[in-house]
Amino acid sequence: MTKSKSSSKFSIVLRLIWRRGEGKFALIVLASWVVVSLVSLVWTPQSLWATDGYHVWAKPSVAHWLGTDGTGADVFSWLMAGARTNLFIAILAVVFAGALGILLMSAMVSRNSALSNVSVVAVDALISIPTVLIALILAVPMGASVAVVIIACGIGYGLNLARIARPQALLAANSDYVGSALSYGASGFSVMLHHILPNAMPTIMVQLSLSAGTAVLAESGLTYLGFGVPSGVPSWGHSLATSVKFINVYPLTVLWPGLIVTIVVVALNVFGDVLRDAIDPVTNPELRRS
Amino acid sequence: MPTNSGAHGENDATDNKTPGTNENETAAKVAGGAVNATGVSANVSDTNAKAAGSSADIGDSGVNTDAHDNSSVKASKNAAGSTDETLNAHVKGVSGGNASGVNGGKAGKGKKKGWIWAIVAAVVVVALIVAFVVIRGNQKVSDGMARMHKSDSVTVGLKLAPTNLDIRNQSGSSLDQVLVGNVYEGLVARDSNNKVVPGLAKSWEKNADGTSYTFHLNRGMNFSNGDKLDANDVAWSINELMTRHYHDSESLMNFKSVTATDADTVKLDLTAPYANLLWELACRPGLVFDKNANYDMKTQAVGSGPYTVAKFVPNDSITLKANPKYWGEHKAKTPTIVLRYFGDDNAAVNALKSGDVQVLAPVTENLAEPFVKDSEHYRVAAGDDTDKYVLAMNSKGVKTSDVRVRQAIRYAIGHKQLIASRGGADKPLGGPIPSLDPGYEDLTGLYPHNVDKAKALMKEADYTPDHPLELRLTYANTYGTELGDQLRSQLKPIGIDLKVNVVEFSTWLQDVLKNKDYDLSMVDHNESHDFSQWTQDSYYYNYSNQKVKEYYNYAMAASSDSQRDALLAKAARVVSEDAPADWLFNYRITTAMKAGVQGFPLNLNQTLLPLYNVRCMTTVK
Repeated sequence: MTKSKSSSKFSIVLRLIWRRGEGKFALIVLASWVVVSLVSLVWTPQSLWATDGYHVWAKPSVAHWLGTDGTGADVFSWLMAGARTNLFIAILAVVFAGALGILLMSAMVSRNSALSNVSVVAVDALISIPTVLIALILAVPMGASVAVVIIACGIGYGLNLARIARPQALLAANSDYVGSALSYGASGFSVMLHHILPNAMPTIMVQLSLSAGTAVLAESGLTYLGFGVPSGVPSWGHSLATSVKFINVYPLTVLWPGLIVTIVVVALNVFGDVLRDAIDPVTNPELRRS
Repeated sequence: MPTNSGAHGENDATDNKTPGTNENETAAKVAGGAVNATGVSANVSDTNAKAAGSSADIGDSGVNTDAHDNSSVKASKNAAGSTDETLNAHVKGVSGGNASGVNGGKAGKGKKKGWIWAIVAAVVVVALIVAFVVIRGNQKVSDGMARMHKSDSVTVGLKLAPTNLDIRNQSGSSLDQVLVGNVYEGLVARDSNNKVVPGLAKSWEKNADGTSYTFHLNRGMNFSNGDKLDANDVAWSINELMTRHYHDSESLMNFKSVTATDADTVKLDLTAPYANLLWELACRPGLVFDKNANYDMKTQAVGSGPYTVAKFVPNDSITLKANPKYWGEHKAKTPTIVLRYFGDDNAAVNALKSGDVQVLAPVTENLAEPFVKDSEHYRVAAGDDTDKYVLAMNSKGVKTSDVRVRQAIRYAIGHKQLIASRGGADKPLGGPIPSLDPGYEDLTGLYPHNVDKAKALMKEADYTPDHPLELRLTYANTYGTELGDQLRSQLKPIGIDLKVNVVEFSTWLQDVLKNKDYDLSMVDHNESHDFSQWTQDSYYYNYSNQKVKEYYNYAMAASSDSQRDALLAKAARVVSEDAPADWLFNYRITTAMKAGVQGFPLNLNQTLLPLYNVRCMTTVK
């Protein structure tokens, strides 16, 4: 029963997002992203590993829809396959950031004042470390890898998330209903789960969706620096990094990955905005009614 | 930040080996090889550093998305503001024009006066047009008699920047490139084909067993400060080199003594013959310094060459001025030559496009395409060099000690395709000696591209595409990912699953060069006369063949160049047959320049760049 209830809630939120123009755009882009990622696992127009030294930097043609790169490999196929890596990174970074963020947020609003004070100071201090620096530090022992991107983004965005969600959580924690729940003997964990978290959820969801967008950007940036996705793993950052050196001569090859990253990041940011409205009972009357 | 730490790390790695050498010449040569590459990597980390700036934004936005949003909104607002302003300006202009027109109409009350003014204005306009046309016509006439004019100054764009000018202590080929032959001169010199030619010495002879050389110096030579240059300076310079262990002193092997027998004669004795002696003397070990001059070698230079260093800005530029006291035949044709250093390839290309530099050496071949197309204004040409892109296959590696695997890899690699992907200027190379070095022989026929043969060898070693051999290729990120990607796809069909590990140059130095922990490695061995690395068991190749060592030792003791070359060729053939490495290609340097530039050396110009002949002709009217 609860399942049907939650699924109906889900469909209400989805419907509201779809009803708005920008929401439609975001949903279509994100859905295509997922579909392309899945398709690339079984099919790409050309093999990823087919290189051809005699036809490097080729112009778009029937065989190579977006031309070839500096090794003669098919740009379109690599972008398709890159979608899955970026999706993987975005999802895992968001999961990681979400878990870390909620954990830290809980600590920050804890009734144990020592824990909350320490965690507030710690988060404030750690938040000043740029994500790139975290990635650099991680890359020393781990080398360039997908894990570096995920962990660096996860830590960076998790801290950010905790700080942004804290006021909302604090508001709930200090509310009368939490007070009464506690007086009834509810455990701190249960209060967190049933009262504080649901209150902070809209903020958290929006923040996570924005983080997903930034994770896509961070992947490109870190891969460009050589600390992100290693050579041989398709990703949009890889496609950008290998072609950006030749931007003066072959600008089109830089345009495609750049365009895709832009569209996806915009879609994720728009999605976050629309989601904020759709998920909040205050701004979504349908949700209130259900 | 990465620049500094990276560069430091590498310097440390080399410095550790150079002076404190217990590991005999091996280490020294390693250091030499590493040094050149060091420069390259320093540059790349430069670009990285720049890139770090840009990506810091990404990190920041990750931390604080709100700030990011705000700033981007601001930016777009600014943009909107500026377009508004231009629109406004446009409107203003239009309205202003209207207003004045109206005013003019009002002012011209009397119609007759207006007519007169109109006629006068028309006459003036016509006169101006006629005058303009006439002047233009005259110009065209003088165009017909246009002469080529030589510019007083030429700016050359280079890649690797020296950190200081101390050529006796500071490693790195960028110093040789600027100073040798331009500011400092050697006892002998080398020409654009890497052959030894007279320098400060006009002639020389050696005794029958090749252990004693007598050099006869030119007369009337002097340094740029006016001091005389004679045999005492020569002997002093070489003695200083050997006693103080200056950079490259270890390459004067079997050195015994050097003395000035009179003002114009220098005698150099060896403990045993050394066939590369003259060539080494054409490089740093043969440079002659002023015994009596006192100056800071890090920032100044007093030499006998056609140019003097007028200004040195570390990591940025060097300004050379013609030496007014120059004694010899290589008199500078251009009074001022500025060398500017570009870490970023695209910045370099833009500098040539905008005219900030007149020559660019080197330029990445694929990036030079716009200049190739615009042949009216630019000239792009490639020169020979001694750069060998060596795909080393660890001869003692667990997986690569099997010679069948190594041979299969050599058969499987399509060298022509690799070269084509880079633009086509590079040359196939089948062995360890490039065409500009003694002992060169075309060995590309030993392992021709033959995928079937490669497959058969792999099958014999029990590997197929379904049951592939996993190999790790480690190389520095200076070389880009393209080569690794191509090798992976070329080796896949023969049953090799290549994991390409593109690392920082310092990591390569540590893992491959020092610890020999690798399956396959790729690096550009750019040094000339570096065959001895195949005779050193301790080198990272892990290669050892007694026959090669014997040939090499005989070659170094050879009494004639032709004998030496024949023995080196034999040794090189054995090395290539053993397949301890594959030579992907012999890199050739692409130089791009403005159409009027003449006399710029193409061959070897990353280590040997005589500038005296460089001039830029422009048309003047």
